[in-house]
Amino acid sequence: MRQTILQGLEQAYSNFVHMIADFLPRLLVMLIITVLGLVVAFVLKYILRAVLGLTKLDRVSEEAGASRILRLAHLAPMTVLLSRSVFWVTWFGFILIGLGVLGVAGLQGQISRLFQFLPEVFIGILILFLGLMAANFLSRTALLAGVNAGHPSPRILSWSIRFVIWILAISMTLEELGVARQTVISAFSIILGALMLGLAIAFGLGGQDLARKSLERYFGNAKKEKDREPQPL
Amino acid sequence: MTEDTFLDDDLLRQLMGVGEVDLLVGISSHSDANTTSQALYAIERSFQQHFTRQRAVIVNAYGGDQHGGDATARPGNVAEKNVRLAESVSLRTVQRVTADFSVPPSPGMTLRTILAAADLLRARACAVVSPGTTNFTPDWIANLLRPAYQEKFDFVAPLYTRHKFQGLLARNLLYPMSRAIFGCGIRELYSDEWGFSGRLAAVCLKQDVWHEEAIVTRPEAWMAISAISNDFRCCQVFLGEKLRATTGSGTDIVEVFRQTVGNLFWCMESRQSDWLDGERPEPVRTFGPDHELTSEPADLDRHRVFEMFRSGVTELESILSSILDPETHAEIKSIVSLQESEFRFTSDLWVRTLYDFAASYHHAVINRDHLVQALAPLYRGVTFSYLTEHSESSPAEIETASEALCVEFERQKPYLKEKWKAKVEVKS
Repeated sequence: MRQTILQGLEQAYSNFVHMIADFLPRLLVMLIITVLGLVVAFVLKYILRAVLGLTKLDRVSEEAGASRILRLAHLAPMTVLLSRSVFWVTWFGFILIGLGVLGVAGLQGQISRLFQFLPEVFIGILILFLGLMAANFLSRTALLAGVNAGHPSPRILSWSIRFVIWILAISMTLEELGVARQTVISAFSIILGALMLGLAIAFGLGGQDLARKSLERYFGNAKKEKDREPQPL
Repeated sequence: MTEDTFLDDDLLRQLMGVGEVDLLVGISSHSDANTTSQALYAIERSFQQHFTRQRAVIVNAYGGDQHGGDATARPGNVAEKNVRLAESVSLRTVQRVTADFSVPPSPGMTLRTILAAADLLRARACAVVSPGTTNFTPDWIANLLRPAYQEKFDFVAPLYTRHKFQGLLARNLLYPMSRAIFGCGIRELYSDEWGFSGRLAAVCLKQDVWHEEAIVTRPEAWMAISAISNDFRCCQVFLGEKLRATTGSGTDIVEVFRQTVGNLFWCMESRQSDWLDGERPEPVRTFGPDHELTSEPADLDRHRVFEMFRSGVTELESILSSILDPETHAEIKSIVSLQESEFRFTSDLWVRTLYDFAASYHHAVINRDHLVQALAPLYRGVTFSYLTEHSESSPAEIETASEALCVEFERQKPYLKEKWKAKVEVKS
């Protein structure tokens, strides 16, 4: 009995030592890969920041209105954001490769799935970002045009445009990520349809007078009103 | 040569047939076609009456029949025939050359063609005229050509008789600002008629700017600023009252701002090395009266102008906050709440506002076209203030106020330089 217990303990100890002996080099490899990844990620980050600095991306981003969106979201400027993203993506990739080396059962499959999903996440983020930029630019265009044309409520017009583009961008992002595809498409169609119908009814029925006055202003008296301003040149 | 790349073979053939000339007048006949023949006739009369011994040519940039208009403007009709008026005293034939474009050429393309023609024909004095001016006289052409031909001036800007409430963008922004920045005391920087020397034409033709939007739409101010910056001799010549052909759509203030203010900001950006270390402006010689203002009653809706200023400042608050200095913005917001009778947009505030806009344009804090559009409501505020302040003013009083504004622009130039050179902090 005692002998059996001792043998069992010996076997367990031997297995443990064997497992440690097998695991430690892998852990070491993982740590080396992680550290190497950290170095590579740092190098890439600084190279990218220098290159983007040369291309004056921050100025372009300011001009396009992207920086304003980033500031509203309390995010760093475009150059910093991109270089940081590259740093984290690179390092995260190396960490995943390192975890793969450990050979933990079940982890391989999850890592592989995560790698397959990453491009869709990036495309989704890109769609969302471009959508927010387009919304910002077009809503500002509408606001300025409305103000300079003497439109009675330019801010409503501007916000409507911003809202529609946001909805479109969010729907496209969710569809790209494959989140409840059918629901997203249906919800988008319903929201947009309802919005347009609501606006048409509000403008045509609820605001008959406003509609008439606006149309008269645009097609009838616009020239007269312009002519009653001093000639700028 | 640069012009080899864009001049049409047919145009080159016509130009070679003309040979060298002393005088060249360019006209664009795609718009207001019914007034084109009148303008062409005035040009010919001018050559016949005032330049009897000089070799002269008319370059007509024709851009297709867009308005079902005038047959005389079309190539193949009299437009390309050389003319000798029966009653004329000229010893030479006036040559006509037609640059036939399939679509109406842009003002930039028209000017480039005229400059290339002037360079090829070695013209000594040139002028550009617009058929949009309906009261064109032969004397106008002579007045534009003579300073360049006889007095060796390189850029000849026109001066017109103005109503005291007309041309307020030029009076309150374009003239004083360009004078302070470039030392360019030209009152009508954006005009449809101007003269220039063959020397200046050659220099401008070589510039690699013809693809720029600012040049494509309004090249004349750039030409004047180029002349000033390159130490060419500039002058102004008084032409009289100018009547424009009616376009039927009224004035689109946003489009005017894009073409003039946007253009001026672009010139500031592209010529920053010239003006940042520049000297004080020098007066430009003027032939004829320096200014002439009339003051007949005008039917203007001041209340609407004020309301558009007020709503503009309120609605565009977020945009203006990203363009203007916080202090300037706060001051503008404080005057918005004033009653019409108490309202006054001071020249100090107006100059600071414009310099903030110019610096923000340089730093591209928002899309540049949006930035220029955002200035229009503030200009309306200044316009309202001007209309109120000068409703009873005499021309002399208006001229004094105008000069004071110019001085204010010059006084605050260091503020612009400081803003211009400042690095924009991008908040993280």
